[in-house]
Amino acid sequence: MTALDAVSVYTPAFRVPIEDLADPLGLTDIQVRLFRRFHGLDQVRFAPDRSPGELLRAAVEGLAELRGQEHRVRYVIHGRAMPVVVPYPHNPLHDVCRQLGLGHALAFTVTQQSCASGLLAVELAGRLLAGDPDENALALVLTGEKAFTRHARLIPGTSLFGEGASACLVSANGPRDRMLSFVCAQRGDFDGEFGDREEEFQRQYRPSLAEVINRAVADAGLTLDDIRLVLPHNVNVVTWQRLCSLMGFPVQRVLLSNVPDHGHLFCTDAFANYRTARERDLLREGDHYLVATVGAGAGATFSAMVFQH
Amino acid sequence: MTAPDAQVDSALRDRVVQAMTTVLKRLVEREEPITEDMHMADELGVSSSLGLELLLEVEEQLGIQIDVERMRPDELLTVGELATFIAGHSRPW
Repeated sequence: MTALDAVSVYTPAFRVPIEDLADPLGLTDIQVRLFRRFHGLDQVRFAPDRSPGELLRAAVEGLAELRGQEHRVRYVIHGRAMPVVVPYPHNPLHDVCRQLGLGHALAFTVTQQSCASGLLAVELAGRLLAGDPDENALALVLTGEKAFTRHARLIPGTSLFGEGASACLVSANGPRDRMLSFVCAQRGDFDGEFGDREEEFQRQYRPSLAEVINRAVADAGLTLDDIRLVLPHNVNVVTWQRLCSLMGFPVQRVLLSNVPDHGHLFCTDAFANYRTARERDLLREGDHYLVATVGAGAGATFSAMVFQH
Repeated sequence: MTAPDAQVDSALRDRVVQAMTTVLKRLVEREEPITEDMHMADELGVSSSLGLELLLEVEEQLGIQIDVERMRPDELLTVGELATFIAGHSRPW
């Protein structure tokens, strides 16, 4: 059963209050006040001195469990929201692999599910390891990218993106944080580039996410009452408040404290929230928890994964 | 839940309706009167993000904080339903 053997997260120390982003992003006063009052945003993290590769490297360097195990890593998968982040033929992922003694691994990037690509990468890692003849093989899932344009920094009326990175060591049969289920629903009809479906997307956002969450919980053989904690995507607070209201799930069991402190960190939110949960001792052995996210851009993807700690 | 048993201050509710209709006229650029029975999404074209802008402006005009955690947008479809919720689920700043 796919398991998360270790998770490391890099969140830059540099933070920008959302009011300071008004000018560069062209936000009106009321848009900023809405972000603060209802979306729960306060400050956003950036790493102005780090390149895309340096972001990834910072996360991997924090993964102590990788030391001495590099030879076991067969796959390195970068889950990323943006399809293109550097000019061809640069490849930060391959650079980082070479620098960290992982040049032998099969390394590739998935972006097809936008901000849900991090969970997709974990699921793919599990599939690849399950089919690998070496039962000791490991996969390294990376997330992290730059909020390098206005488009990459802002979802109008919804969220502000920051920068951060994560590194997650995945095994096929690890003893901890075992993945019990994964459900994703891809909705090509919500493609933002070729159609004007924004209002319908907004209308169906919460019911669609609730549906995959309920399916993931059921597939794990559980009910919502069994879920100790939800590790959300940090899109904003009000979305989760309303989603919880819709599902009849207590919002107090959704870890939202990183929303004001980080902003929305592309595919990294789930892993950053996992680290926060561990640091605060919110998960006990045997607890079930759920990770959920939505990727929007070229279509939309609603994803949920259930784990047992 | 929308907590239908919540106490509603009728004077506050009147002020909420007044504020809501004033703000809504501007937000949806409508000259004609806005009445309590109007469906906000279908008749007035209020999206969820525009709805938040409405809540923020009503809060600021009336000096109240709305308990949005208890709000069920799917059950608050008309201007009057939202006004009742706000009057029953808000407190002074």
